[in-house]
Amino acid sequence: MEAFEAIKRPMKRRDHDGKVSGRTRYTDDIQSPDFLCGKILRSAIAHGRIVEISAPELPDGYLIVDHRDVKGDNEVHIVLDDTPVFAEDTVEFVGDPILMVVGPDEREVDRILKEIRVRYEELPAELDPLTATTHFFEYKIEKGDIEKAFREADRVLEETFTTGHQEHVHLETNAMIGEWADGKVTVRGSLQCPYYVFRAVRKALGCRDSDLNVIQEPTGGAFGGKEDYPSILGCQVAVAAVKAKRPVKAVFSRQEDIAYTPKRHPSVCRYALAIKDNRVTAMDIDVTYDAGAYTTLSAVVLQRGSIGADGVYNIPNLRVQSRAAKTNSVPNGAFRGFGGPQTFFAVEMMMEHAAKALGEEPLDFKLRHAAKQGDETSTQGLYHFHVPTPEIAARLEELSHYREKREAYAHQPKGRYRRGIGFSLVFHGCAFTGNGERDLIKSVARIRGNADGTVDVFTANTEMGQGLETTFPKLVAARLGIPVERVRLAQPDTDLVPDSGPTVASRSMMIVGLILRRAADKLKMQWKPGETVTVEEHYQHPDYMIPFSLDDFKGDAYPDYSWSGNVVEVEVDALTGEARTLGCWGVYDIGVPIDEAVCHGQMQGGMLQGLGYASMEQIGYNERGVIRNDHLSDYIIPTSADAPPLVSDFVLNPAEFGPMGAKGAGELPHVGVAPAYVLAMEQAVGRPLYKAPCTTEDALNALEGGEA
Amino acid sequence: MVSYKPETLKEALEIRARENVTPYAGGTDLMIEAEPEARYLFLADVPELKAIEKVDGNLEIGAAVTFTQGLLSPLVPELLKEAVRFIAAPAIRNAGTFGGNICNGSPKADSALIFSVTDSELVLSSIGGERRVPIGEFYLGRGKTCLGENELLTKIVMPLRNVQNYYYHKVGARGALAIARVSFAGLMRVEGGIIRHAATAYGAVAGTILRRPDIDGILIGRTIEEAKKIRGDYLGAMDEAIQPIRGRISAEYRKKVLMNLIADFLNRNGITG
Amino acid sequence: MGVQFKLNGRMVESASSPASRLLDVVRNEFGLTGAKCGCKEGECGACSVLLDGLLVNSCMVAIGTLPGHEVTTIEGFRETARFQAIDEAFAKANAVQCGFCTPGMVLAAESLLNQNPHPTEAEIRDGISGNLCRCTGYNAIIEGIKRAAKEGEGLW
Repeated sequence: MEAFEAIKRPMKRRDHDGKVSGRTRYTDDIQSPDFLCGKILRSAIAHGRIVEISAPELPDGYLIVDHRDVKGDNEVHIVLDDTPVFAEDTVEFVGDPILMVVGPDEREVDRILKEIRVRYEELPAELDPLTATTHFFEYKIEKGDIEKAFREADRVLEETFTTGHQEHVHLETNAMIGEWADGKVTVRGSLQCPYYVFRAVRKALGCRDSDLNVIQEPTGGAFGGKEDYPSILGCQVAVAAVKAKRPVKAVFSRQEDIAYTPKRHPSVCRYALAIKDNRVTAMDIDVTYDAGAYTTLSAVVLQRGSIGADGVYNIPNLRVQSRAAKTNSVPNGAFRGFGGPQTFFAVEMMMEHAAKALGEEPLDFKLRHAAKQGDETSTQGLYHFHVPTPEIAARLEELSHYREKREAYAHQPKGRYRRGIGFSLVFHGCAFTGNGERDLIKSVARIRGNADGTVDVFTANTEMGQGLETTFPKLVAARLGIPVERVRLAQPDTDLVPDSGPTVASRSMMIVGLILRRAADKLKMQWKPGETVTVEEHYQHPDYMIPFSLDDFKGDAYPDYSWSGNVVEVEVDALTGEARTLGCWGVYDIGVPIDEAVCHGQMQGGMLQGLGYASMEQIGYNERGVIRNDHLSDYIIPTSADAPPLVSDFVLNPAEFGPMGAKGAGELPHVGVAPAYVLAMEQAVGRPLYKAPCTTEDALNALEGGEA
Repeated sequence: MVSYKPETLKEALEIRARENVTPYAGGTDLMIEAEPEARYLFLADVPELKAIEKVDGNLEIGAAVTFTQGLLSPLVPELLKEAVRFIAAPAIRNAGTFGGNICNGSPKADSALIFSVTDSELVLSSIGGERRVPIGEFYLGRGKTCLGENELLTKIVMPLRNVQNYYYHKVGARGALAIARVSFAGLMRVEGGIIRHAATAYGAVAGTILRRPDIDGILIGRTIEEAKKIRGDYLGAMDEAIQPIRGRISAEYRKKVLMNLIADFLNRNGITG
Repeated sequence: MGVQFKLNGRMVESASSPASRLLDVVRNEFGLTGAKCGCKEGECGACSVLLDGLLVNSCMVAIGTLPGHEVTTIEGFRETARFQAIDEAFAKANAVQCGFCTPGMVLAAESLLNQNPHPTEAEIRDGISGNLCRCTGYNAIIEGIKRAAKEGEGLW
């Protein structure tokens, strides 16, 4: 444990000084008189054919860039290739990029944009995922004997739950710069995955590896919002820079970012539970995610949501049928939790409702069904390692006094202010689903010990606030037994760093950190004073994993899981429906926190995003497929006045497969908050709820006896 | 593009009469849709617009007094402070002004609701002189006001007679940076067992701030016991009078909340049902 | 004759039109990129600067209102002892993650402590209520400001 104490101990963040002083330069802070401004003209309709585009005569130095300027494939490679760099024939959503206007003066670019006329042949638009006829992906998970379980059930409960969009609102909007010099293209910007952008831009340019590099600049938040989108914008600025033969900078306005970039998939989940002898013996689950207009990341988001649909519970008979439906709306994508929050919301609500129907305290009911080490997962893999659900629940109880309050609020008088408290239990599968790490990513990382005693770490993983610039050097320094000041993390530039994979899926510390740990251990043995030694290490697939197949969804979907529980306490004003969050607690098993301060920061940030998702964040599309609330005055996220004092705590459950006991951390804190919040609201308003967000209006409706 | 920064009110009014300019006090509304070619008349430093005084039982606030300045003044009554304390956020309150809040013409304006329920008057000045307009006549609906092309709002005159016993609630979308979704202010002065004054005002429900002094008036002159007897009539009349326009938030919601708040206002004053 | 005002302690003259946004002028004309554009409608605080020591959103200020006034950006403030106190307190509290809101939060802290050297937690929450942060959940920032107030005793 002494080793763990040292690695947990907080240190001053590497990037603190630059960020607190304003010296750190984000993409828009990189300025040069050479830069041209690039702005996108987008489809005004949700679905149709482009018939004609008429542009005004362009002044000197101004140009239009469109699909005809794409020398390679007019496809942005994001898992599949259906997203165009620039729309060619059809447009599939309001905002679909058609062309880019490029020039030296931003106001002139705006003026030109306004004068371009696009004529469309409008086609019918599908905006409802439930009636959509195109399903990009469909999955089925089955185990046990569903039919038998339902036949023999004492009772069957069936309910439907919905969740809405969530917009990232990373404080720094999407921003990319494309440069072209002597036949070499450089794309730099605010992004999570330099090699994703590299492969996409290479395909669009049709160029050789050596003709391109991609650099991640300091990134002002991402949360998944810059996982795939930079590939699209990156292709666009690269093509523009090649045509203009000058650098092109594209920085989104907030309105553009809200209106046209990916969001969390909305969901509709129908659960049927078979109950026998007061136990849930089967779950029959139907899941629909709204994918938006192109496939982008929907396959993997849907996979994760499907795999987690039975929650933290051991359910012997299971069927999950899921689909990602195409709608003519902005393609949805990655957002912290990546498909998990939707089905975890549904299953936590369903289990609570089941407990109530059976007359049992929901927390006890949930704990009774909780999976343990050695139990089968939804995909007939195993929970190979200790599952700390009971410890998490116990610690949460200590911190929040849930049971006492739950009891008290059950008997509160119906005055103006009504309180409620809710409890959730969730997990997050760490790293890529199934064999993704082994077969798709094949992560490589490199460490170089220099003659002067310093160490350089080369990975493609990106600092976006989550602390990698601090925790990677900390890990390497700890293994080498040298002061952390001597270890530097190289800026992710594809010319300099190997492909260690994307910064997603809560994989950086667990997967890449493990590679770095092995590299550091090797370097320690090989490195002599005054010498320069480079060690490269590759991903090694853990041999305990039961092979996973996406064809039948069987095997170990993830190498390990991080577990958590949340409690949220609310107070509702019965006159207005306004809710105040009195408290929000989260207890987390992320293995060993590599820097407790960084990890608490991640937990608390995730918790508040979850509270926003549960209470106030929603995107409103009108019947023409236009997002109405595309300003921060209208798409509202929690301010400091809305945030309760967030309490985060860890249970130490060192991971076997993870560097110094660490496992996935980044996404877990978001996943369990929404159900805990809505369940608290349920107690406060005294009626069952089925939707996230539960807004002020919803609360008042429920209080006054209407539908919520 | 010429803008102007006058040093006195006289200078400001001369420019206002002569040029086509947009009066700019704090800028926190204007700059949202800022035109780079806009011609502003910068008023934030005009001394005659920055005073806060008590004159003849009225509070007189200069149009360019910022919300932060108002909050720091001991002359400003608690009712007005409460409505202003949580407008937006500190950065907006440091620059935003009472005059700007009124002149943007929105029925969601937080300070305007209070000026409305207190039957405040607005002093509109021009090089030709000044006129006083009751705030209820200032708003013409759809964001338009009766401010003349030559005129500037210079002062707000708020009677202080009835502000002691007040009820105020604003429903925002969140705890800060929140535009009002529904807002309500109510005043009641009871002396010698008789209701001497009753006034209610409703924000963010209609094109302008809603006042129905005729309905409020049925309570005036009555004892609390008598008022209880006509409570139902009062609520019924207000129920009919309040027809919320549709917006981001449903009309049904706004209506429900307002009726709940009015009932609570009455209950708080002993007029229970 | 351009618009003259004091910027970080010295008189400057801007060549931009009086209706120009202060945010654009400090960033593009004076190269001071510490103030960020997060929304351009006064809703996020990433563009925060101090105007005569009080927090304002520079995206909502037309420079024509500035003659006779002083603007302080993070570049000016970071030379002060008060900044040092906030800097150290933020470091200990781990108040920085992606950093995009941070200069604004630092200036919001200064504006708050300038008016109220010993704020309660509620007053701190109100003081930064116009500065959005999506990374931290605000706890650590509030902790940082509390620490700065305590350990910077005498500075405000």
